[in-house]
Amino acid sequence: MTEQWVTVSGDLVEPLVAEVARLGGLAEAQIADCLDAISRRDVALAHAVVARDPKLDALQADIERRAIELIATRQPVGRELRRTVAALKIAMNLERCGDLARNIAKRSLILSESEPLTPLTRSIERLGRLVGARLKEVLDAYTGGEIEKAAGVWARDEEVDEHYNSLFRELLTYMMGDPRTITPGAHLLFIAKNLERIGDHATNIAEIIHFEVTGEEMTGERPKWDALQRRSEMLEGPLTSDRVQSMTREG
Amino acid sequence: MPLSFAEPARPVSLRRRPETLATMPTDAVETIETDHDQPAFAALVDSLPDPVMVVSARDAEDASDRRLVFANLAARELLRIQAAGGPLVSAIRHPEVLEAVDESLFGGLNGEAAYETGGAQDRFWRVRTRPLAPAADGARLALMVIRDETDARRNERMRADFLANASHELRTPLASLTGFIETLRGHARDDAAARERFLGVMAAQAGRMARLIDDLMSLSRIELNEHIAPEGKVDVALVTLDVIDALAPLAAERGVKLEIRMAERGRAMITGDRDQILQVAQNLIDNALKFSAPGGTVEIDVVDDVTAEAALAPTRAGAARLSLLSPDLVGGERFVVLRCTDHGAGIAREHLPRLSERFYRVEGQKSGERLGTGLGLAIVKHIINRHRGGLAIESVAGQGTTFTAYLPRL
Ligand SMILES: Nc1ncnc2c1ncn2[C@@H]1O[C@H](COP(=O)(O)OP(=O)(O)OP(=O)(O)O)[C@@H](O)[C@H]1O
Ligand SMILES: [Mg+2]
Repeated sequence: MTEQWVTVSGDLVEPLVAEVARLGGLAEAQIADCLDAISRRDVALAHAVVARDPKLDALQADIERRAIELIATRQPVGRELRRTVAALKIAMNLERCGDLARNIAKRSLILSESEPLTPLTRSIERLGRLVGARLKEVLDAYTGGEIEKAAGVWARDEEVDEHYNSLFRELLTYMMGDPRTITPGAHLLFIAKNLERIGDHATNIAEIIHFEVTGEEMTGERPKWDALQRRSEMLEGPLTSDRVQSMTREG
Repeated sequence: MPLSFAEPARPVSLRRRPETLATMPTDAVETIETDHDQPAFAALVDSLPDPVMVVSARDAEDASDRRLVFANLAARELLRIQAAGGPLVSAIRHPEVLEAVDESLFGGLNGEAAYETGGAQDRFWRVRTRPLAPAADGARLALMVIRDETDARRNERMRADFLANASHELRTPLASLTGFIETLRGHARDDAAARERFLGVMAAQAGRMARLIDDLMSLSRIELNEHIAPEGKVDVALVTLDVIDALAPLAAERGVKLEIRMAERGRAMITGDRDQILQVAQNLIDNALKFSAPGGTVEIDVVDDVTAEAALAPTRAGAARLSLLSPDLVGGERFVVLRCTDHGAGIAREHLPRLSERFYRVEGQKSGERLGTGLGLAIVKHIINRHRGGLAIESVAGQGTTFTAYLPRL
């Protein structure tokens, strides 16, 4: 079943959709750059990511303002209303992705002060690339109007979780083996968590696209996880080697 | 379904200023100048391998105002452009690319940007933009050309990785040497027994560094000649027997039995470099010995005159199989096969694709006390490639491994 979704040039919502795509491009670049900042230990790049974040915030605020104005003054209905609301919501998710990238960039600054943990940063990079690819896919689906593609991103939610899980284990093993790695390891844990949340935003966007096109919520259980939630709760608060040990036992 | 696409919005302006199409071959530009046939122009641009687009804009402030008024076939396929006239950001949204386009549209300058796309395979793209003469209706126009620079980028990265790995591999034994020198100068200075022991370890580490450097130099020599066909005549069976003679003491020491099946003298002939073929046999047999348990058997076969299919036919039931290198085949080629089978540790499936990477070693394997450099199989692969041959591996974790090298027969 192929959903027809041709962008009619010059319609009411198109400028808004274009701005969302532009915001998406900015968010993708922020994610790619913060990952490069980690793997290359590039302090200047990390600072650049942090410095660029206000641009994303401003664009998101602008999209929000324009969407509300459009709803108020033109009173779109049906599909056009859904497209407007979708643009607004997607922009919010993208802005959050940008915040998470900024946070990762900040942590990469701290990481570059300690010895490199090469195999671990490789795994982080892999997770990051996976998440980045998912965001790209979902944004391509948005701009290209390919709803099946969006559904694909939604259904493969688990892939990121699996990567996250194995990375989590890898990190803890490392930190237990060598207490000196606990501080950088903890930052990597938070980075992994942030990446996993970017993946979540990609899934959200997939749902929004589905709703925009069909007017219906996505059906079926969203691939979710409990153990992960539990672990992320455990991550609140300072990490000590005792806590790390107890986590691996539970994990 | 082939994508249909509207004619370029202002082909006349393109034709009037052919010099702005900097990336087109010069003879193509001439065709544009002399040929006034419209469809021929579209066909010509469509046949360009690189994506080419024309962007129009009026309002610098409105992102959705940058529209793709023309895209050639390569661009339509790469960016999945369905219809003409859509916003540029729907096709490409990388911020630096958008900036470069704006530079040409509104600044009248040439722009350039690079971006990467992830997914199943990373690709690296470079975008160049050029200002064009404005359209008749006053809209600003810019040309945009995308080039795939993935290969160049990958090579660059490999070089960087290689340097990093090589330095890392050299640093480890060096650090240990430095450490022992400190100890010998310090508290071990008057302890004769400790001194002897440390000197032994230091000699081993120095030996390891020497091996590494030998392997690295040998690898770089092989790479230099990789595209120059070898000239000598080599009897693979004889060379293999020489290697076996040289390795026999090691086999005895490790308690490993060798089972040898050789083609008759003068039959397993190839055009090749004797020293290099020796290195291939040496590395494969050395690996087999190293990863065999004491009391195990290693089988070495040299078979003359088989087809590629016969060379690649499975030899181990239930094994994970992978071709690490395959030659170009036109059909009818005959090969000499050198096969080395052990019944040792084996290699899990997921490691197979990476075995011939430089410095790659499977973690957690027992290989006796001598830690390898991880360069052996990289060397083997390059040599076989120079000889236009192939290399395949079959392995069952816990049961053993078979390496099959096949080389074009003389
Ligand atoms: N016969 C084998 N059985 C099991 N594992 C193998 C075998 N041959 C190669 N390997 C695996 O492949 C890795 C790479 O092999 P390679 O010959 O390139 O390096 P190496 O033997 O470690 O070092 P070097 O050959 O330079 O002494 C090995 O470290 C080992 O993990
Ligand atoms: Mg070897």
